Amino acid sequence: MIGKDSMYKIDYLLVGVVVLIVAIGTLMIYSGGFDPVDKINNGIYRKQLLWFVFGFIIMIGMTIINYQQLGDYSLHIYGILIVVLLFTTIFGSPIRNTRAWLSFGFFSIQPSEFMKLGLVIVLGKFLELRERDMRHFRELLIPSLLTLVPIIIVIMQPDFGTSVIFIPILFTMLFVGGADVTHLFSIIAIAAIALIVPMILTYREWAGAEGSNFLLDFFKDVNMLFIVSGGLLFISLVSFLVHFFFPNKILRKVYVPSIVVSLGLFSSVLIQTLFKEYQKQRIIVFLNPDLDPHASGYNIIQSKIAIGSGGFFGKGFLKGTQSQLGFLPEKTSDFIFSVVAEEWGFLGSIVLIILLGIVVFRGIQIAVEAKDKFGALVASGITSIFFFHILINIGMVIGIMPVTGLPLCFVSYGGSNLIMSMIGIGILINIRMRKFVY
Amino acid sequence: MSQTSLKTRMLEAFRARMYVFSSIVAIMFLVLVIQLINLQLIHGGEYKSKSRSNMESYVPIPASRGVLYDRTYKQGGENVVVVSNRPSFNITTKADKFATEKELYTVLKAICRLLEVDFRDIKKDIKSKNSWERVIIKEDVGFDTVVKIASNQHIFAHIDWEDAPVRVYNFSNMFSHLVGYIGSISKKEYKRLRSKGYKRYQKIGKTGIEKKYDDLLRGKDGFVRRIVDVRNRTEGEEVGLHPLAGNNLILTVDYEIQKASYEAMGEMKGSVVVLKPSTGEVLALVSKPDFNPNQVISKNNYKIFKELYNNKNKPFLNRVIQAKYPPASTFKLLTAIAALETEKTYASKRYYCPGKWVLKGYTDKDFYCYGVHGSNDLHWAIARSCSVYFYQLGYKTGPTSILKYANYFGLGERTGIDLPGEVASFIPSKKWKLKEKGHSWYDGDTINLSIGQGFLAITPIAIANFVAGIVNNGIVYSPKLVKEIRSPDNKKLVRHFEREKMREIPLSPFTLNTVKQGMRMSVLNGTSIRLRSLKVPAAGKTGTAQTRSKRLDKYSQHAWFVGFAPFGGAPENSVVVAVIVEYGIAGAATAVPVAEKIFTTMYNQGYFK
Repeated sequence: MIGKDSMYKIDYLLVGVVVLIVAIGTLMIYSGGFDPVDKINNGIYRKQLLWFVFGFIIMIGMTIINYQQLGDYSLHIYGILIVVLLFTTIFGSPIRNTRAWLSFGFFSIQPSEFMKLGLVIVLGKFLELRERDMRHFRELLIPSLLTLVPIIIVIMQPDFGTSVIFIPILFTMLFVGGADVTHLFSIIAIAAIALIVPMILTYREWAGAEGSNFLLDFFKDVNMLFIVSGGLLFISLVSFLVHFFFPNKILRKVYVPSIVVSLGLFSSVLIQTLFKEYQKQRIIVFLNPDLDPHASGYNIIQSKIAIGSGGFFGKGFLKGTQSQLGFLPEKTSDFIFSVVAEEWGFLGSIVLIILLGIVVFRGIQIAVEAKDKFGALVASGITSIFFFHILINIGMVIGIMPVTGLPLCFVSYGGSNLIMSMIGIGILINIRMRKFVY
Repeated sequence: MSQTSLKTRMLEAFRARMYVFSSIVAIMFLVLVIQLINLQLIHGGEYKSKSRSNMESYVPIPASRGVLYDRTYKQGGENVVVVSNRPSFNITTKADKFATEKELYTVLKAICRLLEVDFRDIKKDIKSKNSWERVIIKEDVGFDTVVKIASNQHIFAHIDWEDAPVRVYNFSNMFSHLVGYIGSISKKEYKRLRSKGYKRYQKIGKTGIEKKYDDLLRGKDGFVRRIVDVRNRTEGEEVGLHPLAGNNLILTVDYEIQKASYEAMGEMKGSVVVLKPSTGEVLALVSKPDFNPNQVISKNNYKIFKELYNNKNKPFLNRVIQAKYPPASTFKLLTAIAALETEKTYASKRYYCPGKWVLKGYTDKDFYCYGVHGSNDLHWAIARSCSVYFYQLGYKTGPTSILKYANYFGLGERTGIDLPGEVASFIPSKKWKLKEKGHSWYDGDTINLSIGQGFLAITPIAIANFVAGIVNNGIVYSPKLVKEIRSPDNKKLVRHFEREKMREIPLSPFTLNTVKQGMRMSVLNGTSIRLRSLKVPAAGKTGTAQTRSKRLDKYSQHAWFVGFAPFGGAPENSVVVAVIVEYGIAGAATAVPVAEKIFTTMYNQGYFK
């Protein structure tokens, strides 16, 4: 067990920065909860503070047990969370048409938030065990399945935004865990080709773009895509067979890209034909909100106005017209960063981004310095949770990422996300503390 | 050993990958910062103005439009207000304020139910406009309705209201063609007038005085800058620019005479114009059928407008200045003038009327008179309107002379009255006939011309102005309807309109006296005998215009009367009345009684004292 002196090794920098970020967030929730016409505050900032105190206690609690025990019980944790998640999806109380919440009277929790940590722990354990075999393609199967199960359950809630976050966590952990880079890139390339081709076509058609060129005509022709895809598949099979009997490095450079492009094109044809036009259009509105100034595009346009109009110094605390007059939607949750940027300007946004950056880089540092592979994997997994929330959330509100509805960790209003994040910090501190103990 | 080296190798690989991961993280953070720089520092100003336009809504404060008084206006007195304004509101919205189309239609349905407006009409209106353009849901709504909307902003989100004083035409139909009406500026008008500061939402005079003097009446709108939240609840407001009221106008029209003329016409189709020869001031101007400008101006009553517009009796037509008729026997005055100016002795020349006259030629042609008048001199010929007399007089005088005098009086032109849309009267010429009809001028044309039939087409205002020229001894002023422009508070006289001389015709006193005498005898013992009992000595000339309607392929008659009073008085005190009744039974029977009522009223009003 850990000695009394190791308490000195608590990461005060990390805790201090987190407290600062939560303080900023709470101020912004206060600001966003203020109704200028009715002159009253809805008071949810108090609830957030309560969640923070609660989360802080759990964080301290998380430092006491040895994180390695999390690995021992990783399957139990994962299994219990999956069951709770499934239960929520079936029996949860629907809020805004989403069964993502388990209600306990005066408060409710969102199990999908804790699932993120559960996934990180189970992947950490699995990847630690298979550390030496990770270069084999088949070893990607089980981590992918472990990730796919919560994704499918969360999509059924349906909560598209939360389900998306599991994928970058998986890829980060596979990468850190030593998976073959070619394998990872191939998978990413297939997905990219499968999505980008139909999106470009739909976008051009919808936006009424004129003209055509050889490449566009080619992508529009479904039969042609099938032929090319089949042809490439044939080439890759042949070269793979030859490679199998007469190993040759050049052949590997032929069959891997050709099967990637082949599968990519094949999936793109499937998406082209299976998805309805409006479904594809909806994804495009994520990408270019100006196309649909009503509905989801409206939020991003208003968010960009809020951020841009903040200028360098901002409009002042409680003085952001976009947020105070209600033009900015979801201003205490998904779009809270826009409130920071509007009221405190570029200066405030940069400070917040730097603070968030400190958390992420401290996490990476903890992962690098961890005493074992499990610690390193869990630390990088937790860090990736923070990082991708930050990237996707801020990217969304500043208009360079699709609208997915992910909160900004430590800042957005919401108990489950805050407590999950505090647990994550607790585990990070834990890993850091124990690097000194052998 | 190999175990350790594998471990070291794996540790190195892990570290390398962590470096890659941190680099990706760093790059992504950099991307976020770059986009922040782009939004807040590079495009900050642009977004600032966007956020301002989000929360600021500019609500126009309409300028109060000028008020119209009749000629009896006295400062500080109790005056006859012909056109004024009353406070009212418009209910409006803008489509781009709504987040979704569904929300827009939900709110619209609710407001349409409250205002009792057809939802489909508004939907159509919204679809035809840009989303940022303001759409009027209902005009002329009371304050109580505004309160209802304001206190239920959760239901009626983004529904706005604005001050929109409604024009009140106090005497409804009585002044319809004279004052005209106002309406929303059309796309065409907007294109033309945009440079003059006209705005798309404004109203503009469409006809009559409202159109002619629009730039004086309209004033200049101000605006209120409102700070609103996303639900359009008002956070605060300040006046950005105070409106400037329009000028008031004092008309030359006398309410009592206008009323008498209007009532005298009853349900008959036609028109009346009363004017003062010595100044050109119009005392009354009535055209029938008419319309109620109060109904026409409201967007809510578009159906009434359309019905009037398509009515085959053409109620929007101002028959005083926009309808042309053959002048018929009223033109005999001109034939007489032309004859007398060529040869004085015609005054005592007698012709015998057996009821018809034969024009000798290659084939003889009969021209009929409407009665048998026996032997008459020129006075009696005017008094009895004997056509046979004028056939011969005109034939003797010749078309050149008659047409020359018609042109002197400007009967082929516009009178220049200050109303929009006046049409020019028409007098033929030999050249015109050859060009248009392909024939040279026949003697028959001269015969027709001398009794005012044939190709002549004259507006009532032109006939009135012609007789005004006779009364005024050859001097013709252009008719006008506005006497004074006053400041919005009436305290300052901005401009007094002086009379405007149009032409001076050299006519001998003998000619003028002979014609006036003939017109007097028409009252004493001729076609206008009905006016003999008037308390003021009047003089006049009737006419019965025959037109052949191409459309209906049948003949119809229009009854004319044009006259003046007092006979023998100074031109400064004289007043000319011209009446035409369409499809009337001869001038004497239908037009003269109208004139009689007008003269009586004027006498009672003290015009001839």
